[in-house]
Amino acid sequence: MKLIKQTRKKHKLYLSLVFLMIASIALVSCDPSLSALEFDLPDEGTIADATPPAANFSATQSTIDWRMYNFANFSTSATTYAWDFGDGNTSTAIDGVNTYPGEGTYTVTLTASDALGVTSTYSEIIEVVEPEAVAVPDPIIINADFDLLPKSSGSDCSCAGWINKDIGDQGESSSGNGGSNNVIKFDNNEPDHIYQEFEVTPNSFYTMTVVVAFQGSIGGSYPSSLELRVLAGSGYINSYMPTYYTNTVDFPQEDWGYTSISQVEMAANNLLNETIVHPNNTSYNAYTFIFNSGANDSVALFVRGIGGPATGGAGGNFGYNSGDEEIRMDSVTITANN
Amino acid sequence: MKLFKKPYFLILALAFFACEDDFLSPVPTSAIAADTFYANETELLNGVINMYDGIQGVNALDNSDSRLNHAIQIEFYVTEMRSDNTRTKSSEGEAAQFENYTLRPTNGIVYDYYRSFYDVLNRANIVLANLGVASEANAPKIEAEAKFVRAYAHFNLVRLFGDIPLADRVIGIADTEIQFTRVPKAQVYELIVSDLTTAIASLDNTYKNRASLAAAQALLAKVYLTLGTNYVQAQQLCEAIMGSGFGLQPNFNDVFYTENTNEIIFAIGFVSNPATDSQSFSAEWLNSVGRSSGVNYVTTEAAAALDALGGTRAPFSYRLDPAQPTQRQVAKYFPNGENGGPTGVVFTSNPRAAGNDWIVIRYADVLLMHVEAIMAGNNSTSVQAALDSFELVRLRAGLLGDDDGTITKQELLDERRVELAFENHRLFDLIRLGAAQDVLSAFSAANGYSFNSTDILLPIPQREINLSRGMMQQNPGY
Repeated sequence: MKLIKQTRKKHKLYLSLVFLMIASIALVSCDPSLSALEFDLPDEGTIADATPPAANFSATQSTIDWRMYNFANFSTSATTYAWDFGDGNTSTAIDGVNTYPGEGTYTVTLTASDALGVTSTYSEIIEVVEPEAVAVPDPIIINADFDLLPKSSGSDCSCAGWINKDIGDQGESSSGNGGSNNVIKFDNNEPDHIYQEFEVTPNSFYTMTVVVAFQGSIGGSYPSSLELRVLAGSGYINSYMPTYYTNTVDFPQEDWGYTSISQVEMAANNLLNETIVHPNNTSYNAYTFIFNSGANDSVALFVRGIGGPATGGAGGNFGYNSGDEEIRMDSVTITANN
Repeated sequence: MKLFKKPYFLILALAFFACEDDFLSPVPTSAIAADTFYANETELLNGVINMYDGIQGVNALDNSDSRLNHAIQIEFYVTEMRSDNTRTKSSEGEAAQFENYTLRPTNGIVYDYYRSFYDVLNRANIVLANLGVASEANAPKIEAEAKFVRAYAHFNLVRLFGDIPLADRVIGIADTEIQFTRVPKAQVYELIVSDLTTAIASLDNTYKNRASLAAAQALLAKVYLTLGTNYVQAQQLCEAIMGSGFGLQPNFNDVFYTENTNEIIFAIGFVSNPATDSQSFSAEWLNSVGRSSGVNYVTTEAAAALDALGGTRAPFSYRLDPAQPTQRQVAKYFPNGENGGPTGVVFTSNPRAAGNDWIVIRYADVLLMHVEAIMAGNNSTSVQAALDSFELVRLRAGLLGDDDGTITKQELLDERRVELAFENHRLFDLIRLGAAQDVLSAFSAANGYSFNSTDILLPIPQREINLSRGMMQQNPGY
């Protein structure tokens, strides 16, 4: 209250002071060197772009023509786009489409800009390749000639790489067909077998050729036969992942994908199930079979001698035995039918 | 003690009473509370049915509150109407944003679908969280069923929205970190594959309106085909279903008007009465029979494809709108099997309370997935097994098998389009087989729409972006 009274008393003095202040402010504000520093609006571009563009795209080969590529624009905060497709063609559309002259490697660059003129570029190298039907490769079979090679335990054997102790006894090293220690023998009256897993291309046909000789028939009540099965990888025991060894010495001898004969004999697991009966000669004969890999990228070849009584043979008890005659196998060849 | 003579004691005593648990959160006596409900297996089985109730969604006839979830009943908007198969009758309103590729993040139908399927995920996670009350014998089955539903919901969401928050457990109100963190698609698919693998181990083929072994196998096959990996496993899964006694209905029309036939692998069940378990989409697809003037109308492109390639399927797939013969309607889901008479709008039952089941997976889809798995990402296949499956689907339609012994990717896409038209497959087929940009940009240009590659994904609903306070980033292009 006191202040107001004083103000009123000194009204005139204040009024003149106010005028003086206004005058001085007016003078100061007319000074270009000061005003420019403090009150002017910022120039264009003096404030950083808070949402700068970020260029990004993905490329996919068109389903219409293999030379044509679609580019999906995933840029953010941009308004204009410039495409350089790497073959001399350009575009300013949002999504890019380009048909290339032919096979080759091209660098595609997208420059995305916003309305403030800030740009961002993103490049990707694409390889334009004509899709071709790829030939199915031949599967890789280790020790397909049954040579005397090191196995993971003990002595060398023609059976190296071919042992699955859960479903049979190993075959024996033997000689024949003009060589020595170069064939595998399925002993008479024993549950001898060979087993190996290998990689295949799904839904492909393969031709398998085996060269086999039988010992002369003894004319008994248990003639030997050789049974060949190609077993589906889909029938492997749960969560089994096959390993494809390249050296016979690395092959384990048990705990494979097939661990029981009942699993082997399930019809759904058999892509091929053939039996070679005694040919009534003792020479090495070639037998050819065709199988389709179906919905499998891995299969197992299982061969055993059969014809004997289920039990009572020499060797392990697996519910099967070879018959009266020895059988020898010189080689197995599997090729893709392209 | 001196303390006891003063009122301090009273205050102290009151403080103790106030700390009793049920004082601030009493157990309601007149309603069921989720915290205490799942006390035994019977109650948990109610939780299992509750998952399917979530997928059913609410029929607006029963309760027209637009904040309710409509789930599968509005799925055609976010899938079929974004493909070249269907559109709205009059290109109006929020619904038309789908067909002309002008979707806004504020679109209410997109938000509805998003929250619907997170609600389904929540229902599945509640079952999983309460598995402890189930008997040892039944717990694996209930777990399998809940994980199937969880995989199904995640798979729908990840295909539509891209990176999404992962609902691998019950998400509480305070779990904002989980609610608004978009995890990479690969991580979502990891959970989907793991959930379906668990489901396959314990399910059987008892149900068609609930999870089954074949449904889980088919869904996992489709997941592998979508990822473009594990083609051999996808083929094995299809072959497992093909050896399980399913088959095609001899008459294509019976697929849609005879329920739970041998061809159905998984369908969302609806009944016309009571309204709470009925669906509204059958009416919405007709001319002003539902709440809209007509949605999911057939494009000229889809009609032309059906005429040229559909064989006997064409007349059972679409018809001219009797009330407006320049327009075409879907013929697969007439409400309760009634086609509306000569005008297309007269019914004896209430068309807005339709009981038609929504088919999610049927055998023809599996046969064509079998072809796709064998094609294994290539442009064609001549494998006999693929030709056989392809032929089965075509023979039913009065057509012959593939004419030159080689099924191309284009032929497979066409066959899927005419066999599964208006069953919400087309958009996903185009994306999965790499043809979405080719086909939809041409379709958009021909119709004056504005398709860009970013339209392949839906926008994250704006409400979620807002609630996330900057944690959630929008998909590019929105």
